[in-house]
Amino acid sequence: MGNILLIAELLPIIAIPFVYLVGRKSSKAASYLIAFVAFVDIILFVLTVQLMSGSPQRYVEPYNWIPSLNTQYTLFVDGISVSIVIITLILVIASSIFSPRYFGEKHRKDAGFYTLLMMLTAGLVGVFITSNFLFFYFNWEFMLIPAYFIIGGWGYSKPYKTAFKFFIFTHIGAVFVLLSIGAVYLFASGPAGVSNLDILDIQKYGMLNNAPLDMLHWVLILFTAGFGVKMAIFPVHAWLPDAHSEAPAPMSALLSGVIISAGAYAILRICLQTVLPAVIVNDKEFAKDFLHLLCLLGIITAFYGSFIALVRNDIKRIIAYSSISHMGYIMFGLSLFPIQPVGAIVWIGITGAVLHIVTHAASKGLLFLSSGSIMSQLEIRDTREMGGLAGKMPWTATTTTTAALSIAGVPPLACFFSELLIFLGAFQLISTDSFYIWPTVLMLIAVIFSLAYILRFIARIFFGAPKTKTENAKDVPFSMKFAMVILAIVIVIIGIYPTFFIQLISTALTGGM
Amino acid sequence: MTVTLLDVTLPIITLVILSVLTIPVVGFIRKRQHGNKILMVAWYLFVYVLAILTVINLAWQYYNASSAESMIITLSPTPTTYTLTSTTPPIFSSAFLVDPISIYMAVLFVVISAIVFLYAMSAINFREKPAERYFAVMLIVTACLIGAILAGDLLTLFIFWEGSAGAVSFLILYEKTPESIRATMKYLVMIIIASSLIVYGLSIIFGICGSLNYWTVAQYIGTVPDKSLFIFAFVLVTAGYATEAAVVPFHSWLLDAYAAAPASSAAFIASLIDQGSYYIILRVFVYILKPASSGINWQLTVAILSTITMIVANLAALAERNVKRLFAYICIADVGYNLIAITSVDKEGIQGNLFFFLAGGITIALAFMCVGIFNSMGIKTLNDFRGIGRKMPYTSLALVIGTLSFAGFPPMAGFIAKYLVFTAAIHASFVWLAVIGVCTSVIQACYLIILYTDMFAKEPTIKEHIKEPRKLLVPIYVLLAAIFIFGIFPQIVLNFIVPVVNQFFAISW
Repeated sequence: MGNILLIAELLPIIAIPFVYLVGRKSSKAASYLIAFVAFVDIILFVLTVQLMSGSPQRYVEPYNWIPSLNTQYTLFVDGISVSIVIITLILVIASSIFSPRYFGEKHRKDAGFYTLLMMLTAGLVGVFITSNFLFFYFNWEFMLIPAYFIIGGWGYSKPYKTAFKFFIFTHIGAVFVLLSIGAVYLFASGPAGVSNLDILDIQKYGMLNNAPLDMLHWVLILFTAGFGVKMAIFPVHAWLPDAHSEAPAPMSALLSGVIISAGAYAILRICLQTVLPAVIVNDKEFAKDFLHLLCLLGIITAFYGSFIALVRNDIKRIIAYSSISHMGYIMFGLSLFPIQPVGAIVWIGITGAVLHIVTHAASKGLLFLSSGSIMSQLEIRDTREMGGLAGKMPWTATTTTTAALSIAGVPPLACFFSELLIFLGAFQLISTDSFYIWPTVLMLIAVIFSLAYILRFIARIFFGAPKTKTENAKDVPFSMKFAMVILAIVIVIIGIYPTFFIQLISTALTGGM
Repeated sequence: MTVTLLDVTLPIITLVILSVLTIPVVGFIRKRQHGNKILMVAWYLFVYVLAILTVINLAWQYYNASSAESMIITLSPTPTTYTLTSTTPPIFSSAFLVDPISIYMAVLFVVISAIVFLYAMSAINFREKPAERYFAVMLIVTACLIGAILAGDLLTLFIFWEGSAGAVSFLILYEKTPESIRATMKYLVMIIIASSLIVYGLSIIFGICGSLNYWTVAQYIGTVPDKSLFIFAFVLVTAGYATEAAVVPFHSWLLDAYAAAPASSAAFIASLIDQGSYYIILRVFVYILKPASSGINWQLTVAILSTITMIVANLAALAERNVKRLFAYICIADVGYNLIAITSVDKEGIQGNLFFFLAGGITIALAFMCVGIFNSMGIKTLNDFRGIGRKMPYTSLALVIGTLSFAGFPPMAGFIAKYLVFTAAIHASFVWLAVIGVCTSVIQACYLIILYTDMFAKEPTIKEHIKEPRKLLVPIYVLLAAIFIFGIFPQIVLNFIVPVVNQFFAISW
């Protein structure tokens, strides 16, 4: 099994034409094929956990790619990427099984959607398991094209307009990332024969330490801005509500669940773990200010998202703004990155942030699938016209409530533990950096707001007397229930037994830097 | 063993002879009742196999003789070959220059010319009257271009270049519509002005140096204390060649010419003449006027020209409704991206340039070929393109993937080209230029996305079923495969380019 990661990376790519061919005959078969491919990929990734070694633990597979540009096609996994990839693939399985009945009879032979979904999966997997900047960027941009066509081709109201906004926003972010990659390529200097576009090598040899300081500042800021757009952090969030609420439900689930979290992953992996250490060596004050800025942006985003979610009535917009708010939590967690690592304990905040990526993906994915179920059954999206659905759609009501309570941080559901870890990390950091006192207090208040909009959301949709439009509602077909139940089970399992993911993530962090 | 005059001139002579023969041969084929398609393909294969063989022979002789050195083959008094790094004779006059870059370009041009010719054979009906001249002109333009890139002095370059630029007017004129006649007139006026500027500049340079050879001129510039006359001369030469490369503000002929020409001509001009003119600018600026040795600091000027070109072309494209003109604007914008790389004068930049010649050439050829198919169905403006994605899926797919390469999307070849170019700009501390470059790239993505939205989102304006021409799709999909292969495995091309560039920088005057 010397090239298990290569197989895992190539499997979705090879499957693309087959999904197209199968999809021309039957959408259902195509969705099962996608689910199968994703399932095999999950098994492959679980197997890699055994192969990890070293401190921090990781498993690396280097291949030759473009020697002239000093670039290797290096695949690697550590605890962080394995956790995120596994949850991504679980979401892909749920979304693909969910899709055929969701789109209904009209799309019985819809090869396009499933082909694009498979392409998206290939791009997503690639983003999380490579350590090469150029290949990372390949996947990063490659995701955009299928996402554009899915939102445009299968979305609601004015889909291509929404897709255009999504595309241009994220593309602008991406080109700044490209500029920064160019700068890293030029200014990283290490021992001979070492690739200067490899994230792991740059970390290992401190290859950016001798780069000019203002260049480093710019690289850090541009990377953060570029990934921040994808993550929809406050000043650059404007694309998210439209894209997430107008996309078809399976796509919304993937967008909100993992595509925006890819931004968070990239900030952790590239800005914090790769570029920031070099800044710390040269200019500690700037590094500190940078983290404080991230923290403030996180708080503003968290509040902004939850305030607007509190007043919206459109079922999907509430969830979309909730996603913005939760990206704020993750950003806050990432800003707890320790400047002076002194042992395992300092990584609690970061562990929490990564775990929140995982738990939020499952919960938000399920929430979007559930809203898709409700919309496909009732063909309305205004929560004011809904009510009393708990009795009419018991399965949907159960799964939605599970996801929503998890989002609100209610124990023993998944998001509770990740939020708890983020706050523990913040308390830990207060002892060394008094700046974090007020931000932590504010974040705790934000959690209350998030509970508020979630309760309002559940109460309006599922409880109270049935309204005219909801009287004849029936529960969704089996395959859609099945997709939702998978995610609900994942949420409950992580909530009861988070140790698996916490251990996995912490093996990637302790002894880091 | 060494490269002789015969080796260098053989591709040019072969192509010229075959071009002359094409007229009677196609005429003969037309008169036959049966099997004329097969005969046409046979003639095509014969011509290009011979042409490619002569170019390969040149490359073979060159790499056998020396691995990475420039060779100058003088014409008078007797044909002699000099290797630049070993013996350095005092002064050269008219000569051919063979170095890895010119060999790379020669191979590139012959191959791209072959693919476009394949498309033209189906797009231009050879049963109609002047078709044989159309094909002959295509061959002779290829011959002249190979002559121009193998030229070792500014005069030989000028003669061959004007030969190809003049002959191209016939390709634009071919359909003889009022627009094409007007466009050809405009084009001819522009290149006549351009060539008079060049001749004036060359006469000044000859007056100062007593020679027009690249090597001699470059050596001489370094030693002259007062460079103002030189600068004046090179401003004239550059303005002339910039007109032919369509650098803004000298670009206006290109739009009309491309819009009025048949699609195969537009593809041919954009992928060969355009790339050739960038090559000449590269030769003049980086080879002769290397800032370190010539003492002339032209980088900022070119950077500003590049900025204007990128911004004007991309913004104008945003408002353009005619799809063929839209792609003409992309051609102009590509000039801007090439100039970024030339500005940087470093290895990444020239690598980027050479990669751009390949990636940009095949992408633009592909785009015009697709547009040619659409135009032949009467689909011209963005309004006509509505819903066409569902009516003509294969052509549309090729167009979408090909044009994403323009905007620099991985995994297409255009991405690697742009990545190299922007990296080079950062390296040469032109960070602002790189920023403008990526911003205009975003604009490029914008208008391409607008095009896709029309193609896929809107309801079709044409109701009846459309049959896609299979024959025309063959060369298009060949190019599409090339775009993917060079995008995912750029090492295939970089293996050739990197030694070329190292050699290019090894020579110091």
